[in-house]
Amino acid sequence: MTTGSSPAWAALWQAAYRVHQIPSVLPDLHYRSLAEFVHERCQAFSRDDPKAKAFTCVVPNGMNGSLSFSQVDALSDAFAGYLRNVLKLSAGDRVAVQLPNSLGYPVAAFGVLKAGCVLVNTNPLYTPSEMIHQFNDAGVKALVIVDMFADKLPEVLAKTQVQHVVVAAVSEFFPAIPNAVVRLVQKVWAQVLPPIRVPHVRLRAALRQGSTALSGQSTNGFWKDLKPSDLAVLQYTGGTTGVSKAAMLSHENLLRNVQQMIAMGSDQMQPHKECVLTALPLYHIFAFTANLLGFLSIGARNILIPSPRPIRNLQRAIENYPITWMTGVNTLFNGLLNEEWFLAYPPKHLKASIAGGASLHTTVAQHWREVTKTPISEGYGLTETSPVVSFNPISDKALLGSIGVPAPATDVCLLDEKEEPVAEGVPGELWVKGPQVMQGYWNQPEETARVLKQGWLATGDIATIDAQGFLRIVDRKKDMILVSGFNVYPNEVEDVIAQLDSVLEVAVIGVSDTKTDEAVCAFVVANPDHPSPPTVEQITAHCRQHLASYKVPKTVVLKDQLPKTPIGKVLRRALREEAM
Amino acid sequence: MLTELETRLLGIMMMVIMLGMGASLTPRDFLIAFRKPKGILVGVACQYGIMPFLGFLLAVTLGFPPGIAVGLILIACMPGGTTSNIFTYFSKGVLALSIMMTSVSTLVALVMVPLLLEFYSGQAGISGDFRIPPANVAQVLVVLLVPTMIGMVLRKLNPNIGATIELLGALLGVVVILFLIVTWVPRNHQLLATTPWPVYFSAIGLGLIGMALGFFFARVLRQDANRSRTIALETGIQNGPLAALIVTLTFTGDLQQQVLLVPLLYSLFIVLTSTAITLWFRRISDREALARDAAKLGSRAAA
Repeated sequence: MTTGSSPAWAALWQAAYRVHQIPSVLPDLHYRSLAEFVHERCQAFSRDDPKAKAFTCVVPNGMNGSLSFSQVDALSDAFAGYLRNVLKLSAGDRVAVQLPNSLGYPVAAFGVLKAGCVLVNTNPLYTPSEMIHQFNDAGVKALVIVDMFADKLPEVLAKTQVQHVVVAAVSEFFPAIPNAVVRLVQKVWAQVLPPIRVPHVRLRAALRQGSTALSGQSTNGFWKDLKPSDLAVLQYTGGTTGVSKAAMLSHENLLRNVQQMIAMGSDQMQPHKECVLTALPLYHIFAFTANLLGFLSIGARNILIPSPRPIRNLQRAIENYPITWMTGVNTLFNGLLNEEWFLAYPPKHLKASIAGGASLHTTVAQHWREVTKTPISEGYGLTETSPVVSFNPISDKALLGSIGVPAPATDVCLLDEKEEPVAEGVPGELWVKGPQVMQGYWNQPEETARVLKQGWLATGDIATIDAQGFLRIVDRKKDMILVSGFNVYPNEVEDVIAQLDSVLEVAVIGVSDTKTDEAVCAFVVANPDHPSPPTVEQITAHCRQHLASYKVPKTVVLKDQLPKTPIGKVLRRALREEAM
Repeated sequence: MLTELETRLLGIMMMVIMLGMGASLTPRDFLIAFRKPKGILVGVACQYGIMPFLGFLLAVTLGFPPGIAVGLILIACMPGGTTSNIFTYFSKGVLALSIMMTSVSTLVALVMVPLLLEFYSGQAGISGDFRIPPANVAQVLVVLLVPTMIGMVLRKLNPNIGATIELLGALLGVVVILFLIVTWVPRNHQLLATTPWPVYFSAIGLGLIGMALGFFFARVLRQDANRSRTIALETGIQNGPLAALIVTLTFTGDLQQQVLLVPLLYSLFIVLTSTAITLWFRRISDREALARDAAKLGSRAAA
């Protein structure tokens, strides 16, 4: 490939930085590791205000529990002590954390990092076979799992080398009565607490043991020798496309990405004053870096939602806390915009919302701005880039349909199939270089060599760049549909169908076709609040009006819902299987 | 009749139930609900249109003596009970609609119950000692509004306390009925054995017929099947403990015993009938979900 972006392009986004007052260089790295970062930040914020809350977990009926910065610091120290002094793990050992958003998550994840161990974020909804694959691949020695899914353990433990299991509850660290009520409801009413048939330790007990084992000593000894280039997190990816593999993210990767994120929004973020709604799961890289680390770095209060589905689960959290920031994916924003209570009382303290994970539909973005009267800015990222690559200015100047400009200290280029740079405005594959680019895939040198070339990462996404330095994702390379030799980008067709008021959600895929090689197929979910559901004829007619004929869906399937990944990205792969 | 202690306990439990009802909602919920008021209006129409008339009709056609008749009309005029929310949850109905209907009918009760009670008692020819003074009813309801308001404020101030008393209040609705059954039934087995079948029929039928009429009324007004089932449960399930409280505060001695009979029998049987209906509704909900899946496949074939 031709390395190095065209300097002319770099000049474009450098100009955009000046226009939007985004710093073009990053400050020096303050911390050598995430452990030091978490410790120092928590210390500083609890010195400023000993009662300041760092995390609040809210369940659907409004019951909640909170941890202050000093509690998070002390509890994660205790957990680090447990891992190192009780379980006798060594620096660099892998510890999986398989928890939904709950107060146990920051305690466990920060504890792992403070122990100098490597955090393996794991989706709680994984099946036993997915868990077995992931734990064996990463060589996980200890696991922190939510009690609701502990029934998978006998099968998993038998086929992995996981030696230690710590069990946490969703209502962990809630006050006694709400905790008792939530557990009673889970056990008796919802019946989601299976008996645990393997040796395990409750998180509370582990913390007591860890605290005793530390006997007043700091955890500093566990992490002071960590270097910024050391591995911090193994983040599995590939869920929507193929076999799961782990991106190796170093302490520097993540610390730099936090700096990059803060650089894009710093003028609107006041230390101690912000309150961020975390409805996306923390085990996913978007919420992990943006919400958990990014907002921790400015002393914001994190409102953790264990499960954002049904979307009504967010109501009490949005009513009861002065939410100033929100992160989300298209489906979450769209879901909220279809809730009566949200439309009647949008969060009144909201400053701005950050969209990522999947492309934000223009109609959703416009509607969101009208309803909340605040900016919504789309960014773009990948697990492999910790995740932020590019971002829109967080203001009304955010460009709809664009993923913004490259983050500070990030270089991008667009290459054609021969890996030569394309001209301005012409679609090409997006390549990225910057301090946030992963070290490679864990134990996968061939996979790594396929995407990482001389420090440049191939994203597999097709993008264009305009004269102002703003990038647009045209589509996933893999999602592109080839109709009689013409390229059709699903996003474009989806955007057109989503304009119909009677449509709640839409996903477009390519299906094989005898005449045209591939044909466009649309899956549509009707909007329940609209008086009449859309018909196949209406949708097709609307597409004919707005799209070239080869882009018009040949088949339209009406569905009750779309298959989605845990953070709400539409699973196109599942739709393809269904269409076959 | 109920002892002094039981009457007091009933009063206290009723306070907690109302505290819980208050804690189940916020002022915002009301404002949101009234933006699309149709479902709630249909519910209120069922609650104060269908039910009191049904009670009156049963009392008159079955030729009850005034003591029984006034008890039947009273229970028929009651607002929705908080237990309906639990049954709605289990039947996979529309919980938000159920909570809102219970709350709205309880607030409207302040005006509607005294008016309807006076009207139908008059129509049924009930007079003298058997009349429940409207002022009494209004007084009880006003007193009960206080814990409702406190519940709403608590929810606002501390969501943990709010959500806890919300659950407590809903559960206590069932506990009160069990409490009445346990203390009252053994002492009165003689009375139960000699109670004629039309009284049983009216006590059981009021709930069941009310549910059926509520369902069809909601369907006629184009509410979907699931909302209609929710409205049916809400219509049929009355606030039995409230009726018992009003009776004990109004009557004493033998008179109380007579008037209390239907509200107590109703409360006893509604727990059983609602459970059966809930299981049935749940099956229908599940079947509808399956049918939707099937229809989805059908539309695919068509497309």
